Amino acid sequence: MVVALTGKHTFPGGIHPPQKKALTRDSQIQPGPAAKQISVLLGQHIGAICQPLVKKGDAVEAGQRIGDCDAFVSAPVHSPVSGKVKEIGLRSHAVLGRAQAITIEADENSPEKQPSFQVPADFDLSKYSAEQICEASRAGGLVGMGGAGFPTRVKLEPNPQMPKDNLIINGCECEPYITCDYRIMLEWTSQIIAGLRLAKKASGCSQAFIAIEDNKPKAIEVVRAALESSGNPDQVKVIAVKTKYPQGGERQLIKAVLKKSVPSGSIPPMIGVVVLNVATAAALAEAVIVDVPLTHRVVTVTGEPVVRPGNYYVPIGTSVGDLIEFCGGVTQSAAKVVLGGPMMGIAIADLETPTTKTTNAVTILTKEQIGRAKFDRRETPCIRCGRCLEVCPENLNPTRIAHAVKHDLLDVAERYYMSACMECGCCSYVCPANIEITGFIKTGKIFVARQKKRMA
Amino acid sequence: MLKNITVSSAPHVSKPLSTRGVMLDVIIGLAPAMLAASYYFRIHAIVLIATCVVSCAGTEWLCNLIRKKSNSLDDLSAVVTGIILAFSLPPALPVWAAIIGSVFCIAIGKMVFGGLGANIFNPAMVGRTFLTASFGMLMTTWMVPATIDAEVRTIAADNTVDARTQATPLAYSKQALKARTGAEAVNEQLGAAFTGEIGGCLGETSALALIAGVVYLLIRRTINFHIPLAVLLSAFAFGSVTYLIDSESSISPLTHLCSGGLLMCAFFIATDPVTAPLTRRGMWVFGIGVGAITMLIRIVGEYPEGVMYSVLLMNAVTPLIDRFYKRIPAGGKASG
Repeated sequence: MVVALTGKHTFPGGIHPPQKKALTRDSQIQPGPAAKQISVLLGQHIGAICQPLVKKGDAVEAGQRIGDCDAFVSAPVHSPVSGKVKEIGLRSHAVLGRAQAITIEADENSPEKQPSFQVPADFDLSKYSAEQICEASRAGGLVGMGGAGFPTRVKLEPNPQMPKDNLIINGCECEPYITCDYRIMLEWTSQIIAGLRLAKKASGCSQAFIAIEDNKPKAIEVVRAALESSGNPDQVKVIAVKTKYPQGGERQLIKAVLKKSVPSGSIPPMIGVVVLNVATAAALAEAVIVDVPLTHRVVTVTGEPVVRPGNYYVPIGTSVGDLIEFCGGVTQSAAKVVLGGPMMGIAIADLETPTTKTTNAVTILTKEQIGRAKFDRRETPCIRCGRCLEVCPENLNPTRIAHAVKHDLLDVAERYYMSACMECGCCSYVCPANIEITGFIKTGKIFVARQKKRMA
Repeated sequence: MLKNITVSSAPHVSKPLSTRGVMLDVIIGLAPAMLAASYYFRIHAIVLIATCVVSCAGTEWLCNLIRKKSNSLDDLSAVVTGIILAFSLPPALPVWAAIIGSVFCIAIGKMVFGGLGANIFNPAMVGRTFLTASFGMLMTTWMVPATIDAEVRTIAADNTVDARTQATPLAYSKQALKARTGAEAVNEQLGAAFTGEIGGCLGETSALALIAGVVYLLIRRTINFHIPLAVLLSAFAFGSVTYLIDSESSISPLTHLCSGGLLMCAFFIATDPVTAPLTRRGMWVFGIGVGAITMLIRIVGEYPEGVMYSVLLMNAVTPLIDRFYKRIPAGGKASG
């Protein structure tokens, strides 16, 4: 198998922000902090929020299911440690503001989970039926670990109305700073491939791809070699895609790999495509083969102010503050703490905010990294230069939508297809007038959602 | 350490780019033409450009003061407007007329609409139209470049008045059109029109300098090639048709492109983002319209030059063009 190391596959629009991946690119996945206290949020995914299955004072085991929900689009949560439930109450949540969480105080001798799962040599795909794999992905609490947190079972489950034929494993990692997926591809290659084969079987896809941005030639090489040495029974194709933000957005990835557009308002399974993040694929292998739920994940703690930036295997629910402290704290005056990368990540005000299944990075930015733009410069009028139109990967008219929202013309905003915006932030990034275009669009979407709720 | 952290909506990084930077790029793009103008028209050029820039900036400052708005001079857009206005004026225009034009273009062309980004018409063209309507004679008296020797015969030269003046190639082509002969003499001026050693508006005369400026803007990606290309292509096509029909009375399309304000318009006036459409297809329509109307005025109309009216007319329909060519999302229109 010959794989080009530079990609021709891409999508229209997009930007090239400084990558800053060198900070943590060579940092191996290491065990994270053994926090005394863990807060497991009950809503870490898209879909119905879980109900707690434990009470205050209950003793819990590592890996025990502590929250679940009957809804189809949902995923259970598990305790990453053994200990006692200290409290069930509100905690800061990066997306929801404040949300219910189960706070567990870890025992002294709580087992520390190591990033040591290896695919056994006798791994046999035929041992697992499609239903078994789907069940295990649900039981393991798997959600898309790239950022959105869509329950994996819902993606995989075969649906007679929407037969699936293409599986894409997403190893793009187009956000600046983040390198956790890159390290996973280098270190957990066999797990990813096992996860891919399981996902392919469960979803009934006929073709499978692993898409990696061409700024990670080493990952492309390692994955290709691993596939080759395993004989590649599933005819998986490794695709080098162009390095461009937001290449890892699933709609953009599908455009680049399959040359297909996902219709607005639809999700990839509706056109027969399943996209899984590499971390999700690795977690799927673990959940199916050794029946271990998703309680830990690799988090990139990065940013110039961090003393020991790196990739850490962190119990989900560890507070951001504990994580930063574990990395030696910060040296310079940090201006922002962001969950995720600088393009789509969410700035948090409360360092007690727990990490979730979708927290792929904690990025700490100083004024200098953010750029003087966001601090020193005021917003100036739109000069209609059209840069936002050029970079919009969804081919929208961002400035028109943003200004419609600004002037409270939500109907106009919707006529310009506001709902098709995926909030990638390219328009705000390039805007010379320093207008928070993405921010306005997000606000507009929330207003429309509220309106609809009131009318319903 | 981790104190005073701020929160805001994503993205948290941004490109080091500002409106001021964009305008600065445009000024740099205009610099070669400024040098060419200073070379050919000497002190007249420097005085005119300085007058327009200072009075444009002053008017904007005064308008902001009256409107109780914060000062917006630092975005440099008034400077750009001033330079473009100066470029579209005859070199011998008296300073007081230039001041009136500058005040009008900023106050009426821009600030009454709400300032930068809100104006419908290109401010510089508004100012020039006002001057043409008010001081028709001053606006059509063309100086001969200082580099041309007095003894050298230039077309339609008139050495009887104080400053040596001459008809512009376009004015002469108008005469040729009426006399149904003599276009050849204008075509011979193509070389002079290209370097700029010819009568005409301050910044319009040197095609070479304008091209040098636009190459810089295109490399810096400050402007897109769509509008300039559309303007030039449509003007060229229009000019070719008339040239092929009657080459005795019509000047060649290339002479059309290099004469008058067409290049200046295609590169620096029609590309003013505020008054041009946002979408690619809209830009094409806009550019083709500007080129075609310019040629229509030059060939059929009464005026020898039609750039300012064609730009203003297309500015007026820009909102319609934008509405007509709406962008369709990559995933198509939503079904629900």
